[in-house]
This record gives sequence, structure tokens and C-alpha cells, in this order.
Amino acid sequence: MHSALVRVQNVFGFFTTVAFVVATVIALSVVVTPQAPSASVKLKNVQVVRGRPHYYSTKREEYAHIKFDLDTDLTSLFSWNTKQVFLYLTATYPSLDPREPPSQAIIWDAVLPSLSEPLHHNQYIHPAKNGKASKGKKSPYPPGEIHLAAQRPKYQITDISGKIQNRTDVVLELGWNVQPWVGALRWANYEDFGVWKGMSGGKSGVFSFPEIKKRKEADLKTEKGGEGNRGKPA
Amino acid sequence: LLDCARHHANGGQDFEGQHLAELVTTVLLGVSGIIAFLVGYVQQDIYQTLWIGLGGTALTFIAVVPSWSFYTKNPVAWLPPHNATSGLRIDVDGNQVG
Repeated sequence: MHSALVRVQNVFGFFTTVAFVVATVIALSVVVTPQAPSASVKLKNVQVVRGRPHYYSTKREEYAHIKFDLDTDLTSLFSWNTKQVFLYLTATYPSLDPREPPSQAIIWDAVLPSLSEPLHHNQYIHPAKNGKASKGKKSPYPPGEIHLAAQRPKYQITDISGKIQNRTDVVLELGWNVQPWVGALRWANYEDFGVWKGMSGGKSGVFSFPEIKKRKEADLKTEKGGEGNRGKPA
Repeated sequence: LLDCARHHANGGQDFEGQHLAELVTTVLLGVSGIIAFLVGYVQQDIYQTLWIGLGGTALTFIAVVPSWSFYTKNPVAWLPPHNATSGLRIDVDGNQVG
């Protein structure tokens, strides 16, 4: 500590140690924070249509269009160390060959910001209670609370074979990632873990993808979700 | 003014002052880290942790880096500089070197 430069180095060196220790304690504080997420997922309506993956494609595929009701209470996932929660809804159906694992595809997702996170255009804005778009970019509910009725899917899904009609035993399942300010990324837990209660609900009943309705205009349509159009011409 | 700047850059802290500066660094940074976590946890606001931690660090830099007067209270009594008239004899291994 004999010169100013050495003192600067000393203070900064110890500062990095303190910062790392505080960050570790913050990350560990999440483990003792109780949480009890619950959700109910219901199938509203499912239909299968023929379409193309994009406009210039000559490939014909079958797409499942799944509408659903979703009510969640994930407010306990938002602790002081939660930056945002990535919430997603998957459709899972068994493979035709029983030796192979089931297929799983995301049909809807949302980035739920915590109150401490600055606004970003990728964040999900919950529609207002009367069903119209929210004014002022503010959700009418606290973070983690969602009430959607007859929500359209964000992504139409197809099978790797391109055929998805008449597939059975489909289940909608809610999943999430909790992204912290510091610490580990966490996945959805359906089992209890310490003071963390497992997810209650979060799965829909079993249903099947119906047969394609005989409709000519459906065959010519390009199937696309809101995401599929982004950044592409026409 | 240059002398003053040199004094601050090269230290000017005596040995007691250097020891004190070390102690001040450890205590200030450690305490600010603990306070930062506790305040943030009680208020459930991680921004308060961030700003208290950074503020404590800035305070530590201000308290330690310049040669404040309380670091220079025990100046070392050096031997008088040697010259021909000092009349001082310094022997090393029996040979007179001074």
C-alpha cells in the first residue's frame, strides 16, 4: 500500500472478491424462497389443415392448429432475484413406433418480465380484461398471473413425417424457465423440492388430432404464424 | 503543485498508515457487501444491493487511495543524509563505507 496505484489495485482486487461472494449468496437465497406455482390448461379447439412451410415451398404438410384456455398463478416464481420467466406450452404425443420417445412441440410461449426489468419489445403484454389489447403496455395482472380464453397458438405444429392428422393421446403441458439476475437457470418442477412446491395442474386432458376437413381453399393456403412472417418479404 | 501531486501519487503514507489503509479497505468493502445484501433482501429489490455495493466501493476508493492526513501521522525518522561534515561512521563487515 505504498503508492496510490498499489492502493487502487488492492481496493479493486478485494472489491471483486466481495462482489463474487454477494452474488453467490443472492443466488443461494433463491433456494430458501418458497414457491407454489399452479396452472390450468384446457383444450378449446383443435383442427388440422394442409399447408406449406413457406410461400415458395412445394412441400405439402399437415398443420395442427390448437386453441386453448390458460389460467396460471406463477406469481411465487417472481422472487427478488427473478429477471424474467419464459413460459411455454407444449403439445406432446407418442410416436407411432413405441420404442421411440414421444414427440414434443411448442405451440405458444411468452416472456414474462418481472417488475424490476426494464421494458423490452419481446416481453409479453397480457390482453386487458375486456379482451382488447392492453393500453400503456402494462399487464392488468401482477407478473405470473395469466387468464387467457380461446387463445390462438403462436406456432402451428407438424410432425417430422409431415402428417399429423389422426394422431392420438396428445397432451398440452406447461413449462417454464426462471431466468434470475444472478444464479442458475431453473426449469419447471412438477415434483416438490425443499420449500419449492411442485407445479399443481399444468397439464390438459388427452385429446386427438382430428382428420382434415375436405376444403379446397385450405389446400392452397400458406400456413404461417405471427412469428413466421417476421423479416421476410411478402 | 507538482510536489503535491507527486506526494499523492508516490504515497507519503508511513508504515502505520499503510497498515491502517489495508484495514480500512477490508472493513469498508466487507461491511458494504453485507449491508448491500441485507437491505436488498429485506426490501426484495436487487437494485438496492447493486447500488449500495457500488457506492460502498466508491467510498472505499475515496477513503483509501489519496494520502489523507491520518495516514501520515507516524512519519519514519530516517537517519540524516550522509555528507562529509556529518561526522558519522558506518562500518560494514569492518570496512568503513560512510
